[in-house]
Amino acid sequence: MTWFTEANTQQDIIDRAPTLAPTFKTFYDSFWQLSSAPPSLLELCRLRVAQLHQSDYQWQHQQIKLSTEKRQSLSEWSKSAVYTDTEKACLAFTEVYCMDPQAITDAQAEAVKSELGDAGLVALIEALGLFYGMTRVSQLWGF
Amino acid sequence: MSNQPRVSANLSKTGNVVRDSALGLVTETVDPYLRFNHAIWHNGPLTAAEVELARLRNARKVNCVFCKAVRYDIAIEAGLDEAKVEQITDDFNQSELSQREKLILAYTDYYLQQPTAMTLEFKQRLTEEFSAAEIVHLSLAIMLCNCFSRCAVSLGGMPEEDLPRMQISVPE
Repeated sequence: MTWFTEANTQQDIIDRAPTLAPTFKTFYDSFWQLSSAPPSLLELCRLRVAQLHQSDYQWQHQQIKLSTEKRQSLSEWSKSAVYTDTEKACLAFTEVYCMDPQAITDAQAEAVKSELGDAGLVALIEALGLFYGMTRVSQLWGF
Repeated sequence: MSNQPRVSANLSKTGNVVRDSALGLVTETVDPYLRFNHAIWHNGPLTAAEVELARLRNARKVNCVFCKAVRYDIAIEAGLDEAKVEQITDDFNQSELSQREKLILAYTDYYLQQPTAMTLEFKQRLTEEFSAAEIVHLSLAIMLCNCFSRCAVSLGGMPEEDLPRMQISVPE
């Protein structure tokens, strides 16, 4: 239960706006079916956004199942061998995106593009916006 | 911030401002985005003028030059004029905006700056003024505007100086 409704989950709260909930759900779900950015990669980035926001609610949520090792090592991803070069490029981009998108360098963007292509870079940026936003919304709502 | 667009090759030329942008490269999300964006502006309990207040507050804080220049015609038709827009500053609490409008801006600021910091007193003022559906609408509207203003900044190619005001329709 949050401060403005008795609903217990973020999705249940969104359902309190029935004229918006279906289109939001379709939009959110579309990110987990991309040809340009694999769901497991986006889940790693979503979880890193949760960590950077200290959002236990988003951290506990499992959108896509990842290995325990990848989840547990995420805060020290740059020093860990369990992540691929693609994952590391995207996690580096994620961290700067969360601090300030104006601070993203051309080199960081190129690193993602070299792994995922133009469409993959755009997909990652859109997905990060959604994850960043939903994390902040869940915090506004008291989760 | 990069002055050069980070993605520019192979963009479509359909005449649709969204499909012809870099967003058009991610084909799976374009239609869901357009439908959700349409719902935010047309189907929610808040007026388009109220959504535009939050959008412009976000645009100014994120410093998205394109977002700052845009005015949606549907919001103008719903009553948002430039006299109100000029009051969307950091001193909005001292402005002539209504209490409801000030609450919209303050909630947007909490999202942008410190979403965990809302006071009990502020939450109470919100629930006295807005229904649950309106709070959800406002939250999702801020999230969507923030998502795509940060997207515009991240994609590079943002002009350094402000652009002239542009009145446009919500992309369909």
